[in-house]
Order: sequence, then structure tokens, then C-alpha cells
Amino acid sequence: MMLFYFQRLVEIFPFFLKGLWMTAAVSGISLIAATIFGLLLGIARASESKLLVGLIGAYVAVIRGTPFVVQIFIIFFILPEWGIQLDAFPAAILALTILGTAFICEIVAGGIKAVPKGQWEAASSSGLNIYQQLRYVIVPQSLQTILPPLVGQYVLLIKDSSVVSVIGVMDLTRVGWVTVNRIPEGLMVFSLVGILYFAISYPLIRLSNRLEKKMATQEVML
Amino acid sequence: MIKFNGVNKWFGKLHVLRDIDLHVTSGEVVVVCGPSGSGKSTLIRCINRLEKFQKGELFVDGTPLHDYSTNLTKLRAEIGFVFQQFHLYPHMTVLQNVALAPINVRKMKRADAEALAHEKLARVGLADKADAHPTQLSGGQQQRVAIARGLAMSPKIMLFDEPTSALDPEMIGEVLDVMVKLASEGMTMCVVTHEMGFARQVAHRVIFMDEGSLVETGNPHDFFANPQTDRAAQFISKILTH
Amino acid sequence: MIEGFNFRIIWEYMPFFMEGLRNTFLISIVSLFLALLAGITACAGRLSPWKPVRGLAIIYIESIRSTPLLVQIYFLYFGLPTLGLRVPELQTGIIALMLNSGAYIAEIVRAGMTSVPNGQIEAGISSGLNYFQRMRFIILPQALGVTVPPLLGQAIVLVKDSALLSLISVMELTRIGQTLTSERFMPTEAFFTVAFFYLCIYFVLKSLADWSQKKLIFREAY
Repeated sequence: MMLFYFQRLVEIFPFFLKGLWMTAAVSGISLIAATIFGLLLGIARASESKLLVGLIGAYVAVIRGTPFVVQIFIIFFILPEWGIQLDAFPAAILALTILGTAFICEIVAGGIKAVPKGQWEAASSSGLNIYQQLRYVIVPQSLQTILPPLVGQYVLLIKDSSVVSVIGVMDLTRVGWVTVNRIPEGLMVFSLVGILYFAISYPLIRLSNRLEKKMATQEVML
Repeated sequence: MIKFNGVNKWFGKLHVLRDIDLHVTSGEVVVVCGPSGSGKSTLIRCINRLEKFQKGELFVDGTPLHDYSTNLTKLRAEIGFVFQQFHLYPHMTVLQNVALAPINVRKMKRADAEALAHEKLARVGLADKADAHPTQLSGGQQQRVAIARGLAMSPKIMLFDEPTSALDPEMIGEVLDVMVKLASEGMTMCVVTHEMGFARQVAHRVIFMDEGSLVETGNPHDFFANPQTDRAAQFISKILTH
Repeated sequence: MIEGFNFRIIWEYMPFFMEGLRNTFLISIVSLFLALLAGITACAGRLSPWKPVRGLAIIYIESIRSTPLLVQIYFLYFGLPTLGLRVPELQTGIIALMLNSGAYIAEIVRAGMTSVPNGQIEAGISSGLNYFQRMRFIILPQALGVTVPPLLGQAIVLVKDSALLSLISVMELTRIGQTLTSERFMPTEAFFTVAFFYLCIYFVLKSLADWSQKKLIFREAY
């Protein structure tokens, strides 16, 4: 019996690959968008403006204080009530982007704050404006602190993307969920799903660990 | 008291101790000096087996350290070790730092141990700091507490690994004063240090190490005035020009 | 939008929200406790001198960290029956949460133990203290302080993770929101209320975590 199911699983394997591709697509797009927005918001969050820090802080607190599944439900079920009708795929990307931006914004803000004050002073003393200070002096140095947790956050986003399966996106998790109804071998099906997630997360986890070691041994060159 | 016989240690491929033969008698004060990487810290860390070695024999107070079945707890109770970075326990008060080992290793009663701790703290000039936390003390004060912590076990030997190297210059004196007093009271001491003034004042012998070998040894006066080897001469001229 | 917000419905469903909140609370506490046990055990395994024990611990920890929680939940929910075990959803969910958080807690505990400076351990060795005495007087008191803030962080994550149990029909807070939505078509009222309750729990836990961060960490003085 198990062999029979195993054979069927092998036949359906391409279906899993499609799910993996969907997971990669949803994660990848959200990841890029979240990095861009997170970078901008992070810079704002590290600023002196109490208003900006407070507003962004409130946003981050709400995102970090509520389960992602609730956030997805809000975007998918509540936005239509306000006239914004979204398909599952764009809704998923929107939700993941909002989630990722909040966390990345905190990472970026932390990295910028870690750059010694003297660098700001040196940069502004040479006449550079704020934009130039950030672009040429501050942000490049903050990358050292930001890179390892950033990659770690990417792994988290890939894992969180599994939740979008609940609004019908045919990602790797939903493929498993759908399959298990036809091939009732839960262990086999979800082991396969797990292995495929492992395949995309593990390289990133290794990268993050290596980056962390590299950053730790590198002396800050001032 | 301490006898090294042909001790050799390798760290991977690096030969960090080469054929060390050294004999320290009871009551003797020995200063070990040399450039960094010469193996001087490794040498004294072997004495209470913070470092192990691969070849040779080491006897401390008759106990063979090269024999791995030796119970070290008893031996370590007789040896006090003072570290360059003090390494006081930040979550305890000064008094608790000093009393910890007497209570748990010598199995003293708490009241007796605390009385003993007070006495040792007074001996290093810090009786009034018994209830403070290490973070509230200066570097020099912390190092003196570390010495009191070592003395609390009434050891036969006190080992010092660059005790003043992590201190600001104005605090070096207070720690060296305690060490000089200790030496004058007849404690067997092995001190790794760059403080040549201390060596000249109380050391019975100075040992110069370079690249893992014991290059030269002699009494402080002769050593500084007439070094026998080139390396020792070079080293001395470098330190003394400061 | 605000004029349409139906507070009456929320009041009508309040007993259900309270039940859901209570269940979320209980599930989180039980799972956290079990996860602590699992995590400390796994950490002891991770640090043990025997290779096979260490290997098993590493496999456990790395598999959990590289796969999404939802997949782990489905793995147990669909997989346990195939082994002949009929475990009710609630217990299945708690086991999943326990195994998941246990792996993260194992790493938190491990980081705490290795955070005590080597030099202090050497100072302890030099005074003649044995392994257990060093553990008891030097390592554990300091490791504990370092471990508590991230543990509280993991507690926050656990509460949010518990929301996923709604997808296997456990009657916790998020599921109540889903029920209200499907029965009365009022996703806005349902999920904003749910989100509000999660935020309350979050703020309490976060304040605890921030307080512990300040008060419990000992720094070695140089």
C-alpha cells in the first residue's frame, strides 16, 4: 500500500515543483519589495524626527504584535469591504511585503544607529548633505551590521510564506495540503514538503552564519 | 616545590614550549619575562593545569601533573592564580567572590569563610569594599580583590599572569605593592610580567623566554646589568628605553 | 468605515472571544512549558560529549529551523493518523508548538551558557571548584540572566504561532474570528477585535522582555 502511494507521489512530483516555484516567486518578490521599503523606512526610523520614529514604531509594533495569519485574513477579507478587491496572489505578496518591511526596517535602523557618531560629524563637516552622508558614508558602513540578520530575515519570510496557503495560493504548502487528500500518507507528503523547504532555506541559513562569522572577525575600519 | 623536566607542548604544529627545565624552590619569587608569544603565560598555566602538555614531567609540591589520573582539585586548592583580566564574578559581591572557594572547596562554614575573606581583603587594603560589586570598583581595586580571592585558600604557591598589563598606569603601583608585601612574607610566587622594577625589588630569579625556550636565567641584578645572550640583551634594551 | 463598525456584534460574540482568548492563553502556557523542557533537553544533547547524541540534537534543531511551522503542524496532523495514532487537534497542535519552540529555545539556552567568559570559568577551575560547582555558582546564575530576555521573545513568537492552530480547527482566538466571519460575514469586526487582543498580550510580554533585558544581564567589568 505504502509503495503504491510512494509511486503516486513520484508521479505527482512535478506538481510539488510547481508549488516550490510558487513559494519562491511569492517569497522572492516580497523579499525584494520589503528590502527596498525596509531600507527607506529604516533610515527614517533612525532619524531624529520624533514623528517619524513614532509612526513607524507604531506600524512595527502592530505587525510584530499580531500573528501573520490574522494579517493575511485582514488583507484578504477586509480590503474588499473598502472597495479593494485583490486576488490571492497579489494579496499574499502585499501581506508578506508589509510583514517583511516591518522587520527589515528594524534591522536597518539598528545597523545605522551602530555606525559611530563621529562618522556623521566627519561627513557633515566636509559639507555633504544628508542624502550624500547616508549614501556614501553611513549606509555602506551599516551594511556590515545589517547583512547577517537581513539574510536571516529572508529565511523567516520564506517560512512565513507557507501561511499564504490559507487564502488559496498554490504554494508548496498548499500543494501538500491538496495532495494529502488524494494520497492519504501524511508523513510522506509533508516530509517531501519539508525537504523542499529545507532545500531553499538551508543555503540561506549557511550564508547567514558565514556572514555572521565574517562580520565578527572583521575589525571596523575607521 | 615546582619542577619542570623536559616539558614540551605543541599547539597543533606550533611548538610553544621547548624542553623546559625549571626548578622553583619553596619561598622563591621567580619573574618570567619575554616577548609576546614566547610561551611565558603557557608555562605558568601548566602549573595548575589550565594548559596540558604532551611531553615531559612536571611536579608541583610532589604531585605529578603529567599523570592525568591525578586529582587536581586538591592541588588547585593549594595554588592561587591571578589573571590579567581579573575575571571576578560580576553577579556576586566582593566578599562572596573571595569566600566562594573556601566554602565550597575547603568546606568551611559560611561565617568562618566570611571572616577569612574580610581578613584577606584587609590584607590587600580593601576591607571597606566587602559589600560592593566588582563593577563598582576600579581596575586596580578589582585586581587586588582577585589577589585576595587567591589568598583566601591559603595557598602554597601564587601564580600571576601579567597582573598589571590591563591596568591604567596610576593603578599599577597599588597592585605591585600588595605583591611586594606578599613576597616579603615568604610566599612562593611565579610572576609573568613586564614590570622590571618589581623584578629588581623582590625577585630571587628572573627567567627570560623566547619562542618557547627558556633562554636565560639569573638573579635580577646580573640579568639586567649583564645579559648573557643576545636575545635577552635585545629584549632588555627595548623595555628599558621606555 | 468607522460608522459601519458594528460594536454590538462584538459585544454579542464577546463570550466566544473570551473563550478563544482563554484557550490561546492556556495553549501558549502549556506549550511554552513543554517547549522549555524539550529545549533544555535538546540543548543538553547538543552540548554533550557523545557524537550520536549531539548529532540527533543537531538534526532535530536544524530540521525545525529550516521548515515552516505550518508544515510541521500539517505533518503531525495528517501524519500521526497514518501511524495509527488518533490524537485530537488540540494535543496535536500543542505537540507541534512544543517541538517548534523547543528547537529555538535549545539555541537560546546554548547561547546563554556559552556567553559566560572563559576567563571566569578558568578562575573557578584555578580555585579548585569542580564541574558542578562551577555550573552552580558561576555559569548558571549568569547564563540565566542572559537567557531570560530571548526566552520572553520566544514566548511572544509562541503566542503568535498558536494562531496557526486555527487551521486545524482548534478553538483558539483566531478561529473565533474565522467563525464570526463565516457566520455573520463581518470580517472587519471579527479580525480587528482578534488583532486587538493579540496586541494586548504582545504589549504585556514585550514590557516584561524589555524590563528583563535591563535588569538581568551582568556585564564583566574591565
